[in-house]
Amino acid sequence: MNTTPFLAAVFALSAGAVAAQDAILTVSGADSATTYSHDDLMALPQHRVATTTSVTDGVVAFDGFLIRALLGDDLPDDAVVVATALNDYQVEIPVTDFARYDVIGALSMDGETLSPRDKGPIWIVYPRDDHPELQDIRYDTRWVWQLVSLQVQ
Amino acid sequence: MTAPAAKLSGPNWSLYAPFLPVIIVFLGSLVFAFAKSSSLERDMRIAVTQNMLWVVSQTQMELHALGHATALPDRNPDRIAQRFDLTISRLNLLRRGPQARYLADIGHLATVEDMTNALLALDPMVNGHNDQQHDALFALTDALHPQINRIANDVMITDWDRAAARLDAYRSTQQLIILAVVAAFVAALAVSGLLLWKQRQLHLAALQTLRTTKMLEQERDVALMYRDFAAIVSHQLRTPLSLIDSAMHRLVRQGDDVTAQDVLARRAIVTEAIGRLTRLSDTVLLLARLDNAQLEADFAPLSMQDAARAILTEAQANHPDRALRLSCADGPVTAMGDLHLVSHVLENLVSNAIKFSPPDRAVELRVFAQGKEVACAVTDQGPGIDPADQPHLFSRYYRGKTNKEGAGLGLALARSLAELQGGRIGFRTWQGKGSVFTLWLPRA
Repeated sequence: MNTTPFLAAVFALSAGAVAAQDAILTVSGADSATTYSHDDLMALPQHRVATTTSVTDGVVAFDGFLIRALLGDDLPDDAVVVATALNDYQVEIPVTDFARYDVIGALSMDGETLSPRDKGPIWIVYPRDDHPELQDIRYDTRWVWQLVSLQVQ
Repeated sequence: MTAPAAKLSGPNWSLYAPFLPVIIVFLGSLVFAFAKSSSLERDMRIAVTQNMLWVVSQTQMELHALGHATALPDRNPDRIAQRFDLTISRLNLLRRGPQARYLADIGHLATVEDMTNALLALDPMVNGHNDQQHDALFALTDALHPQINRIANDVMITDWDRAAARLDAYRSTQQLIILAVVAAFVAALAVSGLLLWKQRQLHLAALQTLRTTKMLEQERDVALMYRDFAAIVSHQLRTPLSLIDSAMHRLVRQGDDVTAQDVLARRAIVTEAIGRLTRLSDTVLLLARLDNAQLEADFAPLSMQDAARAILTEAQANHPDRALRLSCADGPVTAMGDLHLVSHVLENLVSNAIKFSPPDRAVELRVFAQGKEVACAVTDQGPGIDPADQPHLFSRYYRGKTNKEGAGLGLALARSLAELQGGRIGFRTWQGKGSVFTLWLPRA
């Protein structure tokens, strides 16, 4: 194995640890915005989703917070959440998704903290294996990785 | 001895035998079509989730953005670090799971590994940020562009090749499914055809049985009828014959004492007896022809008045002392029928009326038209017909309580003859007062 990527990974992990208090996610509504650091998100009740994904092999275990825990439960059914990624990727997600399925903002995959050099720090993960209807390209586009903001509309 | 019993009670498998192969073809084709459709459906679902071209283009874009960030005058370290992370993230995505296998297939996995390693050698997190580092990053991204472009190019070609091959496979599967459905359809048609054929055979067999039974019954009836017929007719023949015989004997016995008066008296008896014989043989002959469906009516317009008058004249000649009357409507009353058969019916009705009423009472014929029918009613002033006899009046060989000399054929024949001509015979009777028998025929 080439040592360079290995070293880089070690540094990336330590860099992540140093920046644990930095804001990594902004959740905004009509007139308010809340920011969350990695530590804030880790402090939320953690939920595990074990599932296959369209870009990895086999069943992977994801740990993270339930998206609906950030949104509160007074949203109308027709509300949508615009999820934005680090690279400006955007997709609209109906809030009903978060009510109907245990969709999480995954912070780690198979016990390893997700890095911005992978799909981190936050990857929206659907319990794909528990619901056959989720095994569809129209849901795959909602698996936003490198999530930076959720904007409720 | 259980075997024959079992064979009788168990299902007759030979009945189902012709259906078995077609049902196997039918079900087999359907199962085959179903299996193929299911695999097609699964395959399409998997196919649609592969999105290699998008992943590669994302890498292309991030690499470009990284180069751009290093080329901007401010060379913002945060932006460069972020772009570096994103580029590495995309390259990592390419190096794992299904994406890695895809690239290995088209011989580009090593290229991506080399690209990642070359970038990580300039990792800002390790090397920090300075102009030399940023120059090196810019030069590297510039050098990596042609490689990622080539990968994008090959991925696109491979995607299209695979999509086309997949469509080919779908098409041939679809054709197989269509063939299977057609086979199932043909098999279903064959089953229906076989069922129809079987049913038709059963129907024909049932019909044949029915026909045979009916024929047997008919044969039996005919046999019975001829037995009765022979008995009655021979009896009826004997009466006039014995009358003739005794008349002749008397003449012979009287020898030379025979007067012209005697001869005249005997001749009247013989003539009457011969008349009866003639009528009887006429009736029998007509009946026989009717039974064998050999009787053909010779239809023509005929005057009912003329027919009734002729019958009355003849009857008056035979019974000079009886009062016989005819009343007719004004104008012609014309029936469509066979004069010979009509005369036979009227003759029968009139002779019955004479026979069954006291000698001092008149018999009356009335000819009239009504609607689309014409009629000749024969009225007697006899005792009327006993209610017990009425239902059997027109049955062959049935003779009422007061009928001592008839064959029981006359009314039966009369009704058959009337019906043969599209007509009928009606009757009304009053106890102690008399009866009316009416021949109805279609109007000409």
